[in-house]
Amino acid sequence: MELSLLPQELRDAYEAFQAALDACGDLDALMRLKGAYIGREGSHAARMMDLLKAAPKEQKRELGASINALKGKWEEGLRIRQAELEDARKRQASLAQAWDPELPPPTPAKGAMHPLNRLMDRMVEVFRPLGYHVEEGPEVETEAHNFDGLNIPADHPARGSADTFYLKEHGDLLLRTHTSPVQVRVMQRLAPTIEARGGIRFLAPGRVYRKDEIDPTHSPMFHQVEGLLVGKGIGMHHLKGTLDYAMKALFGPKAEVRFRPSYFPFTEPSCEVDVRCPLCGGDGCRVCKGSGWVELLGAGLVHPNVLRFSGIDPEVWSGFAFGIGVERTAMMVSQTPDLRLFFENDTRFLAAMGGLD
Amino acid sequence: MLIEIKALVQELPAVANLSVTELCELSAALGFPVDGVSQEGGETVIEVDVTANRGDVLSHRGFARDLAARVDGKLEPLACPTLEEGAPLMPIHLRAGAACPVYSTAVLDLGEGPGTPEEARRFLASMGTNAKGFAPVDGSNELLFRYGHPTHAFDADRLKGCLIVRWAEEGETLLTLDGVERKLSPKDLLIADDSGPVALAGVMGGDSTKVTPETRRVLLESAWFDARSVRATAHRHGLHSDASYRFGRGADPAMARTGRDLLARRLMDWGGAVLHGAWTAGEVPEASAAIRLTEGTLNRLTGSPISLEEAKPLLERLGFVVSQGADGLWAHPPTWRHDMEIEVDLAEEVLRMRGYDTIPMALPPLQGHPEPLSANYAQRKNLALRLAHLGFHQTVTLGFVSPEIDAEFMSVLGVDNPQGGRTLVNPLGVEYSVMRGSLLPSLRSTAEYNLRQGARELRLFEISPVYFSTPKGPQETLKLGIVWSGTLGGESYLSPARPVRSADLVGIARDLGLEVLPQVHELGDGVFGIEFPLGELGRPQDRIIPAFQAFSRFPAVERDLSLLVAMEQSYAALRDAMTQVLPKDTLQSLACVDVFRHKSLPQGRQAWLMRFRFQHMERTLTGAEVDGWIAKALEAARTHGAELRG
Repeated sequence: MELSLLPQELRDAYEAFQAALDACGDLDALMRLKGAYIGREGSHAARMMDLLKAAPKEQKRELGASINALKGKWEEGLRIRQAELEDARKRQASLAQAWDPELPPPTPAKGAMHPLNRLMDRMVEVFRPLGYHVEEGPEVETEAHNFDGLNIPADHPARGSADTFYLKEHGDLLLRTHTSPVQVRVMQRLAPTIEARGGIRFLAPGRVYRKDEIDPTHSPMFHQVEGLLVGKGIGMHHLKGTLDYAMKALFGPKAEVRFRPSYFPFTEPSCEVDVRCPLCGGDGCRVCKGSGWVELLGAGLVHPNVLRFSGIDPEVWSGFAFGIGVERTAMMVSQTPDLRLFFENDTRFLAAMGGLD
Repeated sequence: MLIEIKALVQELPAVANLSVTELCELSAALGFPVDGVSQEGGETVIEVDVTANRGDVLSHRGFARDLAARVDGKLEPLACPTLEEGAPLMPIHLRAGAACPVYSTAVLDLGEGPGTPEEARRFLASMGTNAKGFAPVDGSNELLFRYGHPTHAFDADRLKGCLIVRWAEEGETLLTLDGVERKLSPKDLLIADDSGPVALAGVMGGDSTKVTPETRRVLLESAWFDARSVRATAHRHGLHSDASYRFGRGADPAMARTGRDLLARRLMDWGGAVLHGAWTAGEVPEASAAIRLTEGTLNRLTGSPISLEEAKPLLERLGFVVSQGADGLWAHPPTWRHDMEIEVDLAEEVLRMRGYDTIPMALPPLQGHPEPLSANYAQRKNLALRLAHLGFHQTVTLGFVSPEIDAEFMSVLGVDNPQGGRTLVNPLGVEYSVMRGSLLPSLRSTAEYNLRQGARELRLFEISPVYFSTPKGPQETLKLGIVWSGTLGGESYLSPARPVRSADLVGIARDLGLEVLPQVHELGDGVFGIEFPLGELGRPQDRIIPAFQAFSRFPAVERDLSLLVAMEQSYAALRDAMTQVLPKDTLQSLACVDVFRHKSLPQGRQAWLMRFRFQHMERTLTGAEVDGWIAKALEAARTHGAELRG
């Protein structure tokens, strides 16, 4: 930029501009600076215009370019500084008005799924990758589905009115005592197409009823998750492999599983499945009664009579079944001291246990 | 079942080498988990859980026999010389066929012996029984716990004529030892003499022939009774004794004579009794037929090769008589095993002896296509999760309620749902006797409980079946019940407090997509509830992603219209009337966004602020056309008596 045509006074003003701009601490100071440099009257810019008017003709072109360049620089500098100062003022203003973020904000209400439903859902998730789907059956059942079809003899004590709730006006109807009748219903339904399907595999979560007085470890209504798999060449090794996977999925990869012989009328061979006590790790505690193991479920290979009753040929097909006690598992894992808490539905308990994930 | 380690070692010395922990582990591995370990009079006693099919294990010797097979130890021989049998001193007639095929007995004169020895008293104490100091009772109990075979002693001088094992006749009665007069059924197996019933076979003796301190001569009974008959009789009379427990789970018919011998020997040794004669009616039934076991079955059950050569000695150690044929093993079960019927029963014994831990693990291959999870289950789970995110807690309550509460709600709901077919024959109590016709009573009591506990606001829901009486039985319908109560908001400077209103529940019902809104019931002071079948929510879509629906990218125009309407004006009628005159594809929404009721308004009128939202799919709307529509809407509103609020 050619400043030699300008008087010393204006050249000094040019040199001092940037420092004066930086020194403007607020918008008022900036406005004063603006007035001094590019204001309409008495400003450096106004004086330059007067100089230009008075300049000889041959100088006008060159002087005009210099003045415009100078004025453009000043305008640009003032604009940027003004934006900076306005920003700072806004920030300060908003800080002065802000609410203390510690003040309680409005929060959405929080609910929860029931812990028993949540655990059953989790079990379904565990078996889903193995190809199990969900089947359900009625809670009011027939003796045929609840007992006969499961190879439970007519004089079995469980069939008595001391253990099983029966309904008035309908002699053969009862409240199912386990989720196993769902096995019978589903096998009867799918038996005609079993060959085309290549087998049957499902979980049946649900409520069951037994005539137990309500106390810290008993309830006349509780939950089970039943599992059934029917295929060709199914054996105990498949049952063991499946439950070992499931228990590790539920209790962690280090969960240790033990299979013990047992007896159920609807499976042969039968077994009970223990998990190394998740609380003490096997050292012995109150939960495992010192044994280091907690009994979690009953299982076995489906009894040939059960397959036959449902119209499936036990010479061709075999399978396994298992039943998990939901309350028992939930109590054990959570150390809930009293079964009744699950049915009392105190929202403080539900909120702490149910969660949302 | 209680097992004293000392007595167990007397039957199977090999057990002495095991620690209590090792014994418990071994017992569990055989299928009999140990529920507890305690000390009784200086001896260790374990509580063994025996499965219902193994009556043969319910004694020290029976338990030892199963352990012996696994540890390959030898049982001590029974230390009891066989009594020589002679001619019956009293005729015994077996008239119940297979229900009682063998009946051994002996008659002894009681003497003045030293009484029950200290060792037997201590053992009985370990078993939780006090010695009576009377040989016929203590001896019978001791051998029951030790050998598992129930025996009975009659006062021989109070028996008349002959003994008959027969089915009861209609109208017969028996006063049993516990002092209860029992009305007998023809399905009850009994022991009778010439005067009538003297004992319920295998369950309990009769009072008239019981042994007392005055008894001088006893007749011992050691028989075998069919398990089903004993179970049925015990169940019918609610009479569960140690004898019925063991016979009911299957006793060993071969123990009939031995049991008699063991008891007689105790009377002679402990009580100084003198034997008059011993005899047996009937015969031990023939062993059950042989069952075949093939290698193919063993391999299929375990997924690993198990040879018949390996299986044979395992079965033999359990007492099976096994022969190997070309087609597999043929095994005759021992007399004490009543749980052997089919091939897999045998296979299970082989696996039990090898240990379930020897079975490998494998996941079964997927055969065919997996099925969809289940639309109903997925719907329920999503619904529960959604309501939980809306602040509701899911409850689980018992399926039965009291008849009064159920009736109250059926009347509130206006449902004709007779209770008869929904009522339990044997409820825990009348308050748990009716399968509920509605979820609302349970939700109400849960709400009341929580409000009493100090809850400020309460949102609950339950998804459970309710029951409707039909001639075929109760029909189950899955319903969703929701209850909302208390004070909303007021816990933050930005949300003012207000009581929950029934409209809040209507909002939830709408949000869930209900087309027909359910009636909101006020279940108590400020407690609101709704209930409807899940079926009304519509089935979840089969398609994973719904079909595309076009939306407008042009500016929307919002207009408010404040109308004065009658207090009794139907909102739906007014809204529908205005909607009808407006262009369907351009009107995005029309709703009342505020209701104003105040004394400054004309008498009988209220003000509704109606908000219109227009948006055209293809162009920007002009002010003039929107003005025209609002004018038409106002005109339509006027036909319902509405007027523009000035």
